[in-house]
Formats: sequence, C-alpha cells, structure tokens
Amino acid sequence: MAGVEMACVSKRFGDVLVIDKVSLEVQAGEFIVFLGPSGCGKSTLLRMIAGLETVDDGTIHIGEQRVDTLPPGKRDVAMVFQHYALYPHMTIKENLAFGLKNRRVPASEISARVEAAASSLEIGDFLERRPGQLSGGQRQRAAIARAIVKQPSLFLFDEPLSNLDAALRARTRIELAQLHQQLGTTMIFVTHDQVEAMTLADRIVVLHDHRIEQIGTPMEIYRRPATKFVASFVGTPKINIVELTAAKNGAMTTAALPDGTALETCIPWNASFAETGTTLGLRPEAIRVVAQGEGTAAGRAKVVERLGERTLIYAELSDGTMLTTEDRGDSQVRPDDMIGLSIDSSNAVIFTNEGRAHHGTQVSN
Amino acid sequence: MPAISSRRFFYVQVVVVTLAAGLMLVPLLWVLILSLKDSAALMSDTASAFSPPYTLENYANIIGGQQVSTWLLNSTIVSLAMTAGVLLLSSLAGYGFSRLEFPGRDALFVIVLLGLAIPEQAVIIGRHQLFSAISMHNSYTALVVPGLSMPFGVFLMTQYFRAIPLEIDEAARLDGASRFRIFWRILLPLTIPAQATLGIFTFFQAWNDYWWPLVSATNHDMLTLTVGIASTQVNFAQAEGLGFLMAQAVFAGAPMLLIYVIFQKYIVRAVAGAAGK
Repeated sequence: MAGVEMACVSKRFGDVLVIDKVSLEVQAGEFIVFLGPSGCGKSTLLRMIAGLETVDDGTIHIGEQRVDTLPPGKRDVAMVFQHYALYPHMTIKENLAFGLKNRRVPASEISARVEAAASSLEIGDFLERRPGQLSGGQRQRAAIARAIVKQPSLFLFDEPLSNLDAALRARTRIELAQLHQQLGTTMIFVTHDQVEAMTLADRIVVLHDHRIEQIGTPMEIYRRPATKFVASFVGTPKINIVELTAAKNGAMTTAALPDGTALETCIPWNASFAETGTTLGLRPEAIRVVAQGEGTAAGRAKVVERLGERTLIYAELSDGTMLTTEDRGDSQVRPDDMIGLSIDSSNAVIFTNEGRAHHGTQVSN
Repeated sequence: MPAISSRRFFYVQVVVVTLAAGLMLVPLLWVLILSLKDSAALMSDTASAFSPPYTLENYANIIGGQQVSTWLLNSTIVSLAMTAGVLLLSSLAGYGFSRLEFPGRDALFVIVLLGLAIPEQAVIIGRHQLFSAISMHNSYTALVVPGLSMPFGVFLMTQYFRAIPLEIDEAARLDGASRFRIFWRILLPLTIPAQATLGIFTFFQAWNDYWWPLVSATNHDMLTLTVGIASTQVNFAQAEGLGFLMAQAVFAGAPMLLIYVIFQKYIVRAVAGAAGK
C-alpha cells in the first residue's frame, strides 16, 4: 500500500497538450476516481502513473520511490484495462501466473496466490479455460484477479466497467468497493460515469481541458462544485443553470430568476455578480413541485418522466426558462398542467461569468 | 414456395460445382493413369492407357534412381529453409513495423510494399550477376536467400500484428515482461494463423519455383525437383518415356497434395483473403 504524488506533471502528443501541469497527492489506501468527459486527459494521466506513457515534465512518486523514469514492470502497480487485455492464447491460470513468473516468484507461491485470487473472485471453475470461452463479466473478473495476484502497492483501473451491461456493472461496482475495503490498497479508477465515481470514490478528481478542475469527496463535488463545469458534469439529472439578476441584500445576495421570481440566498454578496453572464445553479431536488398557486414560482409542466421512486418534471417558467424539477414517484402531474414550484435556495450556487462558483455560508448536506 | 426454389437453386449449384471440379480433375487423372502405364506400351498406342495392365514400375524406377531422390532432398531443404527464413524475417519485420517507432519507419514500409510490384523477371539478371560475382551459384544459399525477401510476408505479418490490440502488450509490460518476451510469449503465438498461411504459401512457392533454380543451379546435384524433372525431358514430342515422366510429375506433386490436405483450413482462409480476421 502506497500513496501517489504527482508534481507539475505535463504531457504532450506532438503539439497537443494533453496534461497541463497536474499536481495531485493520493493518500495510501485511498480510492481515487479520475472523472471527466472524453478527451480530458484522465486515461493519459493514469497511463503516466502506470508507465505506459512517458512524462514530459514533472515527477511521479509511488510511496517513497520516484517512478516516472522506471519501466511499467518495475513500478509495483497492477492495471485493469477497459477491454480486459487478457492473453487470448493462455488459460486464465496462465494469465494470472504470467506476471508472477516474470518476477520469478516460486511456483508454489504462484499456485497459492492464483488459487486465492480465483476463489475470491469466484472464477475458480474457469482457470483452465481461455478468455474467449468466458463471458464479458467473467473476463473482467479474471482481469481483476490478474491484478490482485501481483499484490501491488497500487491498483489502476481504466474504465473497467464500461463494457459490461448495466446490471453487471452495478454488481461489479459493489464488488470493487468490497475489494478495496478488504485489501485496503490504494486504487485509482478512471471513468466518465459519474455514478461510478460517486459510489466508489473516497475522493473524486474532476478533470477538464487537460487539467484538474476540482478535487473533493463525492458530496463536496456534488454540493459545492468549484466551477460551472463541475456542477453541470456531476449530477443526474443535470443541475439547472439559469440566468440571474443579482442584488445585494445586506451581506447576502438576492437572486432574481428570468421570470422575476426572487430567491433569497445565503451566498455572500460579491461585486462580480452584477456582471452579465452570471448564472444561478439549482439542483433539481431543490425544486419541488407543489400545487398551483403555492410555492415560490409558477410554471407549466412540459415533459413528465416517471422513474419509479420519483418523477422528473421539466417545467417552463412564464418567460420560457426551462427548469428540471422533482416530484414524488406517484406524481399526478401531467404534461401541460400548471404547477407551483417550491425552490429551496439554501444549496443554490452562483457562477460568475468566468465559471467560478460561489456557495452559501450554510450548506445542508 | 421460396423454400422450394432456394432448395432447387442449391441442387443446381451442387451440380455445377461438381461438374467444374470433375473438369479440373480430368488432366490430373490423365497424368495419374499415364504414370501407371509402361512407357513402351504408351509409345505404340496412347489409348492403351484406358485398359490394363497397370504397373508401378515407373515409380520404382524413380525411387531407385539416385538423381530424383537427390532433387527431392534439395527441394525439401530449399523449401523448408526458405519457409523458416521467411517466417522468421517477416515476423520480426511485421513486429517492427507495427510496434516500434523509429525514424523513416513508414517510408521503409512503403519501400517494402513497392517490392510487391517488382516482378522477378526485372531483377533476375542483376541477381544472377551478383551471385556469380560472389561465386555462390550451385549452393543451397543461392537457392534460398533470394526467396527470403518476401514483401507479401512482411505486409501480411505487419497487418496481423497491427490487428492485435496494444493493450495486450501493455498488460504484458505491466506484468514485467521484456520486449523480447512479449514478442515471443505473447504476440508471436497470437499470429499463428497468419504464420500458417504465410508458411504454406512460401512452401508452395519455393517447391514450385522453376526459374531461379534453373538459372542458379547448373550442377545436376544441386537441381531442385522441378528443374530436375524438366531436365529429363529429352524429346519435345514426348514420344518416349511418357509413363516415367508422368510418374515423376505425380511424385513431385504428391508432397503438395499432402500439405494441402493437412493445412486445407488455412489455405482456404488465405485464398479467401480472410487471413487477418
């Protein structure tokens, strides 16, 4: 088990900058998730830690050892790939043993480690089969087992669940969380799926445009996004971001929605709020549907999505602004109904025109 | 109705294919029948081929004759050496072109591919002079070495290596394998279908090659089977020794037939152009 420290790490592919002076410290035993849209550089960053990409600038330490000049096999890391990357011509047993043989681990120990990993991942019955004879889920387990047998100080996962169907993905996600609890080894996991990030991570590193946008616990990222990008990238359904007319209200800010609805917030006033392009962020769960004539604002239900435990209602305000709102699972609202909206502004966020977020002083989690 | 018409179409196809196959078999059967007849009997009446007696005497004469067994040995050595050499060089080159980054790689690959467009006829005089200058004619080296430069093999192996996901190499690198171990233990076994295809093609080509051995091997002990058999044809009308000649042809073709039967799956795949799939 070892921590990871990256200091001012950069990477270019030709003229294209893909990692721009990234610095990050991962504590030993932590489960870190790199989250970001396609092309943001998250996989490249992971591959730089693994040694599969060279580092143009900066340093990487795993534990006490500087590793950015070491080949991948000398870094004491194990990686699980998106497409499994099992050796097709070898049996699962041979796949698991290959790395240990390269390290000249005694045969008896190889056998014991393979058996242990196979039994913990329930692939003991498939050890003599080839990868092509296994299902996608079984292959992914074999790939994870191959990583486990090496007993590395750091696990790296490059979107390992993206090829699995929804049910299997959810199950494997839980198993990975259990595996982390059981092994206590540092894990870095790359994904563009925010559900995976929120459910697995101790801390999430949100990457955007080749640099780190925010680092925080899942709830910090969700409740107190540092930027408009983070706020809009994390959360399903997406956060409502609407234009805003801000006014000073003592030390705090009053936010007027485009339809004129005024919301008193606990966000300290900042002169930059008066600039054009300032926006307000409201999570859908902060806007509850109430009876017509009640609540803070009024709107018309345009689309009703029934998800079972809750209902999402896409409401249009009088000026045409669309808001995503939430109602109970057994909501009676139908498209074109007039509805009231009760807006809880305590978790509202104001974004300056540069995209920086300003939060309230008291935030309920 | 559609089921009946599609079944009828299937039967028509079977009949057409059977007729075509039969047509192609006729000359082969003709050679086989002639090889089982006494040459003297054929000289007096070719139609006697269709009636007994049949004999294995021609084959006994081949096996008994020292020259043919020498030529057979030469052909075997040359074909096996060329096949092994082409597989080794094409695999290494294919790995290099697909996995290594070095200056001029793509330009070099294009140059190799240009080799596909240059016929042997265009270079054979220069090649002859070269081997003559270094006194290499009438040797196995001379018969084998020119065939080792096979652009098709390099192209085939490069494409095959390229089709193997890089993640496989990366997983092996993380498993602590050296570059050679990755090539030898991981990638090379994955290219076995392509190796089989290339190996069979190369062996066929080497076995059937006529022109270069004709130019290079002038010593009777260094002839390959194709050139050797041709050299026994002393009269163009083939009035004499027809049965013996046909037996030699069957004898020379038999190894090919055997290889075809054993490796039919790979040959069909290669001919269908699906070797890379």
